[in-house]
Amino acid sequence: MYLDPHIHVVSRTTDDYEAMRKAGIVAVIEPAFWLGQPRTEVGSFKDYFSTLVGWERFRASQFGIVHYCTMGLNSKEANNVALAEQVMELLPLYVGKEGVVAIGEIGYDDQTEAEDRFYRLQLELAKDVNLPVLIHTPHRDKKKGTTRSMDVSEEHGLDPKMVIVDHNNEETVKEVLDRGYWAGFTIYPHTKMGSDRMVDIVKQYGPERIIVNSAADWGISDPLAVPKTAAIMRKMGIPEEHIRMVTYQNALTAFSQSGQMDEQDWLNAKPVDQTRKLSGSSVLRGGQTPRVEGNSETVEN
Amino acid sequence: METQKNLTSFLYQFLENSSEKTSLDWFTLQAEKIHSEGSPTKFFLAFSQASRYFKKLPFNLSEDQMKKASELIPGFDPSHWDLLQTARTILLLEFPQEKIAWFKAINQLFETGDMHEQQALYSALSIMPFPEDLLARAIDGCRTNMTVIFDAIALNNAFPAKYFPGANWNQMVLKAVFMQRPLYRIQKLEERRNLPLANIASDFAHERWAAGRPVMAEIWRLVVPFLNEKFLDDLKKALSSEDVLQIKAAVLACTESDFAPAQELVKAYPEILKGIESGSVSWAEIGVEFQTRV
Repeated sequence: MYLDPHIHVVSRTTDDYEAMRKAGIVAVIEPAFWLGQPRTEVGSFKDYFSTLVGWERFRASQFGIVHYCTMGLNSKEANNVALAEQVMELLPLYVGKEGVVAIGEIGYDDQTEAEDRFYRLQLELAKDVNLPVLIHTPHRDKKKGTTRSMDVSEEHGLDPKMVIVDHNNEETVKEVLDRGYWAGFTIYPHTKMGSDRMVDIVKQYGPERIIVNSAADWGISDPLAVPKTAAIMRKMGIPEEHIRMVTYQNALTAFSQSGQMDEQDWLNAKPVDQTRKLSGSSVLRGGQTPRVEGNSETVEN
Repeated sequence: METQKNLTSFLYQFLENSSEKTSLDWFTLQAEKIHSEGSPTKFFLAFSQASRYFKKLPFNLSEDQMKKASELIPGFDPSHWDLLQTARTILLLEFPQEKIAWFKAINQLFETGDMHEQQALYSALSIMPFPEDLLARAIDGCRTNMTVIFDAIALNNAFPAKYFPGANWNQMVLKAVFMQRPLYRIQKLEERRNLPLANIASDFAHERWAAGRPVMAEIWRLVVPFLNEKFLDDLKKALSSEDVLQIKAAVLACTESDFAPAQELVKAYPEILKGIESGSVSWAEIGVEFQTRV
């Protein structure tokens, strides 16, 4: 059983969902983020947020995957101040919804003044509604940006155990763990971590408070990064219990502080049956025959 | 005003019987505040956070309670509701019903609601104020691809039969057929049958047959008042099926029609005719049985 606590499944196909379920992923968390190009209207945010708590959750459920999300204004788009102000007015409508497990992903991109302003406002929002925070650390000037994210969070009085600092690497992990935060690692080809490096980190730091995710999205990325990394860890002799912690339990412990995520949601879920789809939807168009098992040579009637 | 009060107290009994005291305390406080202050923000927050206090558990309505529901609002049927949506509906009824502010808030809720919030909203259409102004919303809601939301509008809901114009009504029923939803749970399905819909149903059956797919048995209920040679051919095809449900439905459709050749045709099915007489074969029974298969 695996969790992928950071994946943008709105950009993924049903083949991905099937493969994820088959590989043992039982639940995912989809952080609100940007869409590859900046939005120009607040309505685009509204519909995106609604998709995260609506259609995407339903779509995931049809593949036996429980879908949660985090709500927030990402750091890139915080730089459009006029728009960002409107998004801030929208957020209170969404943060109290079922299955919203954190405020995120928020933090810094270029570490501008506007980014700082909206990051702080959202830290306050998280405190108000008692939700954990998911911090996106910047690609550029990462080490300084990571330190600053934690400094500012502490300035606003957040308890490190309520904060998940994501996209760590070898350079940032020590400080993040030492200061008592959860440390997320994104296995993402080219720009973030590779699976082999992840193995070394777990060997060096142990499994406490370390969380592996894929952050798979519309870029070249891998929705199976979590189970694949677990497989490599197994091969490299990392104890099973440690693998379980970094690919399942730690994420569950961190995000269930929201009161919105419970193991029972998937342990006691209705059995995956695409037959439920047949009875009424949607991903399968009316009357298609449900297909649960892998690929076949023909398109079924 | 009086009806609204009666509705809230009617619905509240179901919460009261099966929720924790702390949940009820939270709820009462929110309901009072929403009622007296009319603050949309408080309303939105309580509406979503109700999920922290009430479960999506069904509850049973006694026969008396079913009757009472329909006395409050004709056709009102919460027999498929759960506790959470009941709580949300009460909060909605508590929000001051001043038209402009009310629509501003309700539109916001519809547009930002998650699946279960939308389910609660659409199921409550028949007990909301300003029904004529909600028509466009209800029609638009039928375009959903999420079964629970479609069901909330189409099934056990008095709103469509009462307010949907003919074309929208037919689109809804056809979509229910397409999605294989239980037609017997659509209110006033029989009263609002019409020839265009019967033709659409027949065309749909032909499409399914052409693709080698089974046809939903309940569909034959739609052709009954218009039975003629053309529809009878369809029923003959259903009768030639190996599926007993198809045969039952076709026989039932024939017996309900006053088309003489249909009456003649069913004499070959004495067992089913007996079942129809005793009530063990009915559209509801056929619908229930069909749902166990999908």
